[in-house]
Amino acid sequence: MILARNASGPVLRLEPEEAQLLSLLLDELTALLRDDAETNDDVLRRLNPAAYRDDPDAEAEYRALTEGSLRDVRDDRITACRAELANGGDVELGDPEAARRWLQVLNDLRLALGTRLGVTQDAEPDIDPNDPAAQPWIVYSWLTAVQDAVVHGISL
Amino acid sequence: MGDVPGTLTPEREVTEEQSGDVVADTDRPWITIVWDDPINLMSYVTHVFMSVFGYPKAKAEQLMLDVHHRGRAVVSSGTRERMELDVHTLHGYGLWATLEQQS
Repeated sequence: MILARNASGPVLRLEPEEAQLLSLLLDELTALLRDDAETNDDVLRRLNPAAYRDDPDAEAEYRALTEGSLRDVRDDRITACRAELANGGDVELGDPEAARRWLQVLNDLRLALGTRLGVTQDAEPDIDPNDPAAQPWIVYSWLTAVQDAVVHGISL
Repeated sequence: MGDVPGTLTPEREVTEEQSGDVVADTDRPWITIVWDDPINLMSYVTHVFMSVFGYPKAKAEQLMLDVHHRGRAVVSSGTRERMELDVHTLHGYGLWATLEQQS
């Protein structure tokens, strides 16, 4: 993965295996978000946090008004990013809408995976690359690197 | 930026009748709070504050550091409707945001 630049702006250049991995992760996230049976899942709670901490009535009203649109917007942008990856591993970020979409989607993935892994403020555990259990941590670290590169790439 | 007391519930119970709209209670502005979480990147949070609120980089960074070190920061204030919109936007970016009425 490198963050390059062309005439239209920054470009996230992914290796074919990286684009494939990202596509897979996006498919998994789409499936998770569309599965209503998992509404009490920690990941969904993290992606859709309460707006009112101490007011259940206001929260219920707010949620009724906003939850559907938040889910649709999230689903749409994942679908858009997924479609872009089908064209190869070059992700154009020159268009502010595209940059925002990619940042949000990468963040959705990190929130989902990080919540599953139980990420805390402490340093990440020591990873033995040969241990199968370390695989999600490697993916998480990679997503972090990609997102950080994109943030810095579009802020220049 | 000052710290905000933890809960407003007791005060609101006194004034907020079933309608929820009490004139005496409308003077105090509403605030949007962003809470610390272990996953969102500092660079990303700063970027979001700049994009969503149009804050200059220095202010956005200071707010991000407040979130990180103090556990939370007030990132905007105004009408309840406006704060609901801000919270909704921040949730779209994956930030852990809530709104409440300022004490």
